[in-house]
Amino acid sequence: MVVDGKVAIDHDECVDCGVCKRADICPTDAIYMPSECFEYPRAIRMQFSDPGVQHPNLKAWGRGTEEAKTNDVTGKFGRGEYGLLIEFGRPGTGTRLTEIEKVTMAMCKMGIPILEDNPLYGLLEEDMSGRFKPEYVNEKVLSAILELRIMEDKLEETLEKMFLSFEALNTVVSVGLVSRFDENSKLPVIEKLRRMGFDVRPNAKINVGLGRPLID
Amino acid sequence: MSHSLHRFGTEDNLRNDFCIYTRAAKGINRENCGDKLRETLKIYLSENVVNFGSSHAGRCFLNGLDPEEYAKTLDHSYGIIATFADREAVKGVLVKAKEAQLGISTVVSGLIEEVVEIAHEAGLKPHTALISLGIHGKTSMLPENEVLEFTTMCGHSLVAQNLVRSVIEKVKGGKLTPEEGALILAKPCTCGIFNTRRCAALMKEKLEKETRK
Repeated sequence: MVVDGKVAIDHDECVDCGVCKRADICPTDAIYMPSECFEYPRAIRMQFSDPGVQHPNLKAWGRGTEEAKTNDVTGKFGRGEYGLLIEFGRPGTGTRLTEIEKVTMAMCKMGIPILEDNPLYGLLEEDMSGRFKPEYVNEKVLSAILELRIMEDKLEETLEKMFLSFEALNTVVSVGLVSRFDENSKLPVIEKLRRMGFDVRPNAKINVGLGRPLID
Repeated sequence: MSHSLHRFGTEDNLRNDFCIYTRAAKGINRENCGDKLRETLKIYLSENVVNFGSSHAGRCFLNGLDPEEYAKTLDHSYGIIATFADREAVKGVLVKAKEAQLGISTVVSGLIEEVVEIAHEAGLKPHTALISLGIHGKTSMLPENEVLEFTTMCGHSLVAQNLVRSVIEKVKGGKLTPEEGALILAKPCTCGIFNTRRCAALMKEKLEKETRK
């Protein structure tokens, strides 16, 4: 934004991702992070937006969890189950937590638990309503992932309600689904999703089963 | 690392775009995994790697991250990620990782059918997939598709849409080569998953279209 004829950072909109600081291109130190960026509640902005900053409660970097990445050794998502990864603000728009809350509340109403080993979980009220603690709701992050586990027979109902809750959003969401391969290295869920009318992108992330001890 | 999942593009231009992420699991094989990650890095470096990076160091290989210095930091990490632009390199990594019996979970992102095929050729059985159901919500906030093809190569969204537009204009105007433009766009992506070869190929495609006009 422009203040007194000079370009300045709008700190209310800034998500503290650190890109402009790392670029190190300002000769007059006009690009800076005010001290409040390092204090709560604002500190969560950089924890979600800058991949080089840890989430202190999880001692993990980034926006999500191990999800499919280590599923060959954790068995977090078994056969007959799916994981849903709903990433708010991605790609590139950012999101206030108020937007995420619209979906967390809808999911909690359906009785779908939000997985605990996820950076968003610690920001939620403890009453299982899906509401965030009031100090965090207006914070803005570059993106954040809501992670859910659902049973196979709940897929259609969950997706229908989830996509309905997206209609009220003032941000974008990138949606991912975790599924086990079958014995023939096929993903039956893809055909199932297409029959339901959902588009599935041709590219994916595939855990190739190199982890040990392997959980089959 | 769903940050390499939602790469936007056509089946054709995503064909030679792979990321490999080796990640130790909390409470299972993360303790003292530094040596295994260093071994993995050696394997990556032996197979025509395009880029890799360190969000902790705040820079990627193509922006000056020194592999030897990076290797020293891996005792404080639990995973490493790299970008590749050809299937044989990916197969090479998987074959070597299997032979080394490191036992650390490994994820490959790319076209589903192609990754499954490569895994089979390497003697591996794919275990779990994270598939993409696309972008939803208020999609009117998104930039045009041709910009998304570039920005989504950094899944943490650290490559700004206006930087992409500016670089495209400079390439079209002959002020930058496609390769120089790709390097500029790769720098903000500290994890090093921005694929400069795919980026340069996309730029060249745009130049050819301009020339034909």
